[in-house]
Amino acid sequence: MITIENLRAYGANVDEGVKRCLDDEEFYLDLVKSTVADDRLSELEQCLAAKDFDKAFEVAHALKGMYGNISITPVYEPISRITELLRDRKDVDYSELLAEAKEQKQKLDEMDAARE
Amino acid sequence: MIYFYRIISKICPAAGSADGKGVKNMSEEVKSTINGIRRLVLIVDDEHINRRVLGKIIEKDYDVIYAENGKDAMEQIRKREKTLSMILLDLIMPEMDGYEVLALLHDDPNLSRIPVIVLTSERTAEVKSLQLGAADFIPKPYDMPEVILARVRRSIELAEDNSIINATENDTLTGLYTKDFFFQHGRRYDQYYPDNPMDAAVLNVNRFHLVNELHGRLFGDTIISAIAGQINRVLDETDGIACRSDADTFYIYMAHRDNYEPVLNRIMSELNSIAGHTRLSVRMGVYMNVDKAADIETRFDRAAVACNSLRGNYTTGCSVYDDKMHQKELYSEKLIGDMDTGVEEKQFKVYYQPKYDIRGVDPLLCSAEALIRWQHPDYGLVGPGAFVPLFEENGLVKKLDHYVWREAAAQIKAWKEKFGVTMPVSVNVSRVDISDPGFEKEITDIVEEFGIDPSEYLLEITESAYTDNSEEIIETVNRLREKGFRVEMDDFGSGYSSLNMLASLPIDALKLDMAFIRKIGQNDKDLRMVQLMIDIAEFMQIPVVAEGVETKEQYDLLKKAGCDIIQGYYFSKPVPPEEFEKFIEDRINHTL
Repeated sequence: MITIENLRAYGANVDEGVKRCLDDEEFYLDLVKSTVADDRLSELEQCLAAKDFDKAFEVAHALKGMYGNISITPVYEPISRITELLRDRKDVDYSELLAEAKEQKQKLDEMDAARE
Repeated sequence: MIYFYRIISKICPAAGSADGKGVKNMSEEVKSTINGIRRLVLIVDDEHINRRVLGKIIEKDYDVIYAENGKDAMEQIRKREKTLSMILLDLIMPEMDGYEVLALLHDDPNLSRIPVIVLTSERTAEVKSLQLGAADFIPKPYDMPEVILARVRRSIELAEDNSIINATENDTLTGLYTKDFFFQHGRRYDQYYPDNPMDAAVLNVNRFHLVNELHGRLFGDTIISAIAGQINRVLDETDGIACRSDADTFYIYMAHRDNYEPVLNRIMSELNSIAGHTRLSVRMGVYMNVDKAADIETRFDRAAVACNSLRGNYTTGCSVYDDKMHQKELYSEKLIGDMDTGVEEKQFKVYYQPKYDIRGVDPLLCSAEALIRWQHPDYGLVGPGAFVPLFEENGLVKKLDHYVWREAAAQIKAWKEKFGVTMPVSVNVSRVDISDPGFEKEITDIVEEFGIDPSEYLLEITESAYTDNSEEIIETVNRLREKGFRVEMDDFGSGYSSLNMLASLPIDALKLDMAFIRKIGQNDKDLRMVQLMIDIAEFMQIPVVAEGVETKEQYDLLKKAGCDIIQGYYFSKPVPPEEFEKFIEDRINHTL
């Protein structure tokens, strides 16, 4: 279950996120929950596999903005690094960063799925 | 009236209080105003989370609308170009990106006043967007809410001050606003105080051009300044702004009041004191408790309608825009809007009024005049008096005239085929038509197309058209007559033909102005005038037509005076072609 405490334990910068939402915790949690269904990490993975760096940058950039604004730091950090590399269209090995992002996203999804 | 006070003091220090107290209060009040008024902000971002977070922050102090991409944003911006205070713009978006939006805004003078804050996480993008005209940027992930709100507020304040400084300042003679400036502030005031009841007033000096001509420009300027001064005095005591719209026209937008007499009295007593024995008067039109849904220009159009209703009165007076004027305005607008459909759907009907030759023992039908009517789907049968002046104003009248010309030619042909006789029909040719280079060819083509003889087709040209541009018209008329057309001078006596010109005019009949006919039973003077005109026609050896003949008395007087042809309700009103046919049948039977 996605709660303030669980997010804090997970590593999200909850204080910053909640403050950005004018201290409205409920609104903040609602925003975080709405990202669970987001499947753009897979889209990013496909773009990178196809070496479509333009499209990959667009997706990574969008994800960076989103996770940044809700302060989901564990996903935001690897995505942020991918975005900066893609900004220069660098043809490097993204697999490690991508795996990290996916793993952190997976944890978030599991938190949402768990009963408590 | 915080806002107005601020502007007036800035532009026209004389309007503020002399001790500077007002100025101090003003700045304090402005600050709270900036916080208190809910301006409209557009958030453009393709990411819903970003829109929601930013919206949550901005909504605290502003009204917010959203767009998901640049294209959507441009639509929203264009729809609200006058009320939008700020755009928060993401750069990387599908459909149309933020850079393109910035460029479009930058190139459009109506939109470039709206400040844009760019939402970005890139340093390089910040530079580029500032070069493209962005006012500021907000980094992503977003700063703390207070920081964002402060940046938004600062950019709005800067932009508003700028637009005030950049607008075309104030009228140099009076110190009042210029019109554009005035409208801009009026609109902004409404945004701040949407619920304050307001009046729009238009003030005009009667026959100001004569004042200038008779007493010189300097005197004229003194009068204008004096009026502006009194308007300012009024605005010292009440909420409002004013401008000089043009030479002698003032617009005033002020808090509603029931009675404008005191305002006028004030202005008049000042004018009387400086104008000495020169008699001056002003007229005022007021649209009270304006409808805020109508844009501000429209509100002043309405006040001007009220003001113009006093034109021709040379005494000071005030007219209030009322429901009757409004209905008339709506009616006119609707008629203008419906004209094209009307022509397409053949709602315009040509009616025919018989003209009778009264020289013999019995009056004999000799021709008809084609007259337009509008079978309007909502208003029923509308006479030309209601719509022709409107269409003359916007140039549509040509279209209408051409329609009548064709219908009349077709009718002549149809009657010829049905009855085997020629029934000449006259059509009206307006001033606009006759100065059109294509006019001659058009008339000739119509006659040819329907296979009728030009002598069966009569052209009525109003007298004043001759006096406007006589040489050109005389040449045109000469050429038409050479081709066999017959030309009647319409409304004779209403224009200013000189006897000298009349003698050389190429015309086939004089048609007396209806105004004389209406009065001939009432006094000798008009009857003598008619007699005189008939004598002129006799001298020119052309027949005289009298139209608008309604009574037996008028008929007898005209017959006795030597009038040749009579048209009017005395014989028949204008009727549809089917009804007209009974006059033709009577005529055929009479001859038999």
